[in-house]
Amino acid sequence: MIHWNQRSWRAEARGLPGTPQSLTLVAKAESLGPATEFVRKGAQEANLPESRMLELDLLIEEILVNIWRYSYPKGAQGTVTVTYSIPEPGELAVEVGDQGVEFDPLKASSPDLALDLARRPVGGLGILLLKSFAGSLTYRREQGWNRLTFGISANP
Amino acid sequence: MTIERIQVGSKVVLHVTGRMDADNAVQFEQQCQSCISEGITKLVIDLCDLRYVSSMGLRSFVFIAQKLQEKGGELRICRLTGLVKQVFEITRLNQVLPLHDSLESALMEG
Repeated sequence: MIHWNQRSWRAEARGLPGTPQSLTLVAKAESLGPATEFVRKGAQEANLPESRMLELDLLIEEILVNIWRYSYPKGAQGTVTVTYSIPEPGELAVEVGDQGVEFDPLKASSPDLALDLARRPVGGLGILLLKSFAGSLTYRREQGWNRLTFGISANP
Repeated sequence: MTIERIQVGSKVVLHVTGRMDADNAVQFEQQCQSCISEGITKLVIDLCDLRYVSSMGLRSFVFIAQKLQEKGGELRICRLTGLVKQVFEITRLNQVLPLHDSLESALMEG
């Protein structure tokens, strides 16, 4: 029985198809490092090339920053759960869940990129980057959870 | 992220290395602000060794460029590569901020 458990744990640690891996963190800026490290582990297991790692970092950062800014009102203590799975080699699916205020980034208004420098708002570009770099991007609200899922592939 | 400051005549070049993200973009902004407080209005940012920038970093670039423009100065950015270049292009910041291919070009008068 002990041996079986060990084998089972090893299979999960390798992130084989059908064994999603999850990490729950406090929703605050200091969690960005551990969250990035966690999804990078998934990317390595999915055999994503090194060239996609920075894009993966960007996707996870933009999502987490949005959660800190919009999902949890100032001062509220919340958590964020990051789950990755490998639908097939060369593909990584990442779901980020939080229990904050309902926020669908896919419905957020697009920034006006035609404005000159003086009239450009300083922010509002994160969701545009998210939509640009994610291979796929879906949102669902489910029993009090915001669940945002993106996919990233070895071949863009 | 590390920032090296180089004085070239009346201009200051900030050579930024590494990653600019939600954790450290404020350090870049503070360094630029301190140049502005010294009366420097022409700031050149050399990004040849910056590998990563997120939207939090972009906020800082837009904020500093606007501050300098209000003072009749200018923020010039040069030598963007890889993901950093892509991010400036996607957000069309390459159309509102003067981007230069070389440091020499960014330091030219006019």
